[in-house]
Amino acid sequence: MRQTMKAAAAISAAALALTACGGSSSDTASGSKSSGGASGAAKVKVGMAYDVGGRGDQSFNDAAAAGLDKAKSELGVETKEASAVNGENEAAREERLQQLVDAGYTHVVAVGFAYAPSVGKVAKANPDAHFAIVDDASDDSKGDNVAQLTFAEQEGSYLVGAAAALKSKTGNVGFVGGVNTPLINKFEAGFVAGAKAANPKIKVQSKYLTQPPDFSGFADPAKGKTAAEGMFQAGADVVYHAAGGSGGGVFDAAKAANKMAIGVDSDQAKTAKEGVRDVIITSMIKKVDVSVYDFIKSGTEGKDLTGNKIYDLKAGGVDYSTTGGKIDDIKSKLDTYKQDIISGKIKVPATVG
Amino acid sequence: MSAAGLDVGAERLDAPPRTGRRLQWWHWLVIALAGLFVLSVLEAVTGANDIVSSGAIAAAFGLAVPIALAGLGGLWSERAGVVNIGLEGMMILGTWGAAFAAVHWGAWAGIIGGIVGGLIGGLIHAIATVTFGVDHIVSGVALNIIGLGVAKYLSARFFANLPGGGPTQSPSLPDLPRLTIGGLSDGLKSVEDDNIFFVSQIAAVLRALCTDLSVLTLLAVVLFVATWWVLWRTAFGLRLRSCGESPVAAESLGVNVIRYKFLAVLMSGALAGLGGAFLSLVAAGIYRDGQTGGRGYIGLAAMIFGNWRPGGLLAGSTLFGYTDAIQLRAGTQTVHAFLLFVAVVLVAVGLWQVIRNHRLVQGIGAIIMGALVAVWYFTTDAVAGELTSTMPYVTTLLVLVFASQRLRMPAADGQVYRKGEGH
Repeated sequence: MRQTMKAAAAISAAALALTACGGSSSDTASGSKSSGGASGAAKVKVGMAYDVGGRGDQSFNDAAAAGLDKAKSELGVETKEASAVNGENEAAREERLQQLVDAGYTHVVAVGFAYAPSVGKVAKANPDAHFAIVDDASDDSKGDNVAQLTFAEQEGSYLVGAAAALKSKTGNVGFVGGVNTPLINKFEAGFVAGAKAANPKIKVQSKYLTQPPDFSGFADPAKGKTAAEGMFQAGADVVYHAAGGSGGGVFDAAKAANKMAIGVDSDQAKTAKEGVRDVIITSMIKKVDVSVYDFIKSGTEGKDLTGNKIYDLKAGGVDYSTTGGKIDDIKSKLDTYKQDIISGKIKVPATVG
Repeated sequence: MSAAGLDVGAERLDAPPRTGRRLQWWHWLVIALAGLFVLSVLEAVTGANDIVSSGAIAAAFGLAVPIALAGLGGLWSERAGVVNIGLEGMMILGTWGAAFAAVHWGAWAGIIGGIVGGLIGGLIHAIATVTFGVDHIVSGVALNIIGLGVAKYLSARFFANLPGGGPTQSPSLPDLPRLTIGGLSDGLKSVEDDNIFFVSQIAAVLRALCTDLSVLTLLAVVLFVATWWVLWRTAFGLRLRSCGESPVAAESLGVNVIRYKFLAVLMSGALAGLGGAFLSLVAAGIYRDGQTGGRGYIGLAAMIFGNWRPGGLLAGSTLFGYTDAIQLRAGTQTVHAFLLFVAVVLVAVGLWQVIRNHRLVQGIGAIIMGALVAVWYFTTDAVAGELTSTMPYVTTLLVLVFASQRLRMPAADGQVYRKGEGH
């Protein structure tokens, strides 16, 4: 009995440790100051709260950082950055935003839907500050001083889905999602719809690496590789990923199997590691940098953005990349789809099935 | 003359040998083959052909190795009486150490780097628990948090400015050599592709074992054999295990308990670090924050599943690795086919419990569970994606609940021991 109790104690302690890890909040804040150059910009100070991964993730956060950098050099705003910690709790996120406000930052950009409830709360508590949240348009983050910057990921994914189907010789393509959330579902929905449009008989394999609240699926290349290997061995020859850092594993698997892959968020044929760039035929680009820059610019002009601003294909918020010339032969077809989506002839679903 | 006393003595001497038969190595082989046979039948019946493919088996080994190495680390430590739930933290340090060394000095140095990273974690745990007598759980939990924080800090400090690196990830790492026995692998592939019942499945397993095998996987196998030999066949191992069973007795016989415990915890850290090195060097080819994803805890669970013995630990980690691999690969379809397997196993275990062991409650419980799973299988076409990722844990839980458990942890495991305590 004693042994059982001890084993139980060990297990529960392990569980405790997991949650304890989640509770720890160690912000890596790196302040950077620049002398307010442009006139009128001196009043705008931008605080940026990144999602897990932070600046340097060569993906989502880096895209946001690029927008911030552009604003800094072109508009001369003062900036401060802070990163999230994997598995942190709600209070830690609220605290981070509040600290930015307290430090005098007038415009706070929260990167990632995980911030939704905290942005809602902190925005209410600080009616004089301006907030932006990337990737969320829910009621949680709604507010008079909140700009909700979202993207029509399904439209960009539709285009790369069509590209995958047109490029596939086996009539079998795959989708690897990082975590099964409504946001990543949009990628899958668009991809499936696009693939079916280009080839009605196409077979699409889908897999999510983890289920929320386990968000490790965005940072586990080993799992991404295993999932993609399975798809390639089951007959797929093009796999699209929306799995953040796990996507590196998808590219590795494609390289090893001598098959094709499609990148996400940024032009990954330029940003992925050198050895695998040649397997990336295209990427679904999501211009987070543009949205962040727009928000800051509107602030410097005194016309602060509020409400939900959707960056879709029409607005140039999403697109596909052509780096490497791997899809030059089907570009005209893809552009036809693109025009049809922009004109409203094709309606891309945002949910699966 | 007291007859009663003699009787008692005689009874003790004639006490029947332990009813739990010790499993010999060929038992394991038979069990493995039987399991493979059932899986082959399952493939034939359900038509889900990814259940035993060389790809699935290779993926299973790939996922099992880091778990097994962490578990082996736990085994060393707990056999010497120190509970080590800090494995996750040591593993995290290992992933970073391996990445740092590999970036600067090449892939082979990465192995050393991973071991050193884990070793540092082991050193902290050893100093805290063995030297200063801190509660093992407290120290282990602290280590998990420290490992996470330190690795985050170090990667931001050392990887952010490297080309291809960032604050949360390393540049891509050089790969270790992989071994393929060319002729054998190709020959087995043709057998696998022929789709002969059971023969193809055996070929698939053998092919996975001789194709694209990382040297680190081979090293892990060697370490398992070496651990078994050192701990169960040498005087050193006997002394080390005696520290976990009864440190007072060990010390009275002249064993330097403190030194043995210290060494065991260091070894534990080194092995967990090596598991981390496998993850960043071989499985992912990159270091990323949070890439261990709780594998250290799973390793600990696999060790308990394996009754604190290397063979059982290996079986436990393979089970975790395999179920995780098939749910990650084909997902809903294969997992759905697997339900049938779970149902059959549960009913078989239930019957065994009722007929052989006369444990009605456990047996009938297992049969009812099996029947429910079977109903689930026949009334649905696929398992919801939300549920598939829980499969490794549900399977293990069911096995543990309904199989007769004779888990026995080292008697003095988790107890703080101070030198000269027994005097």
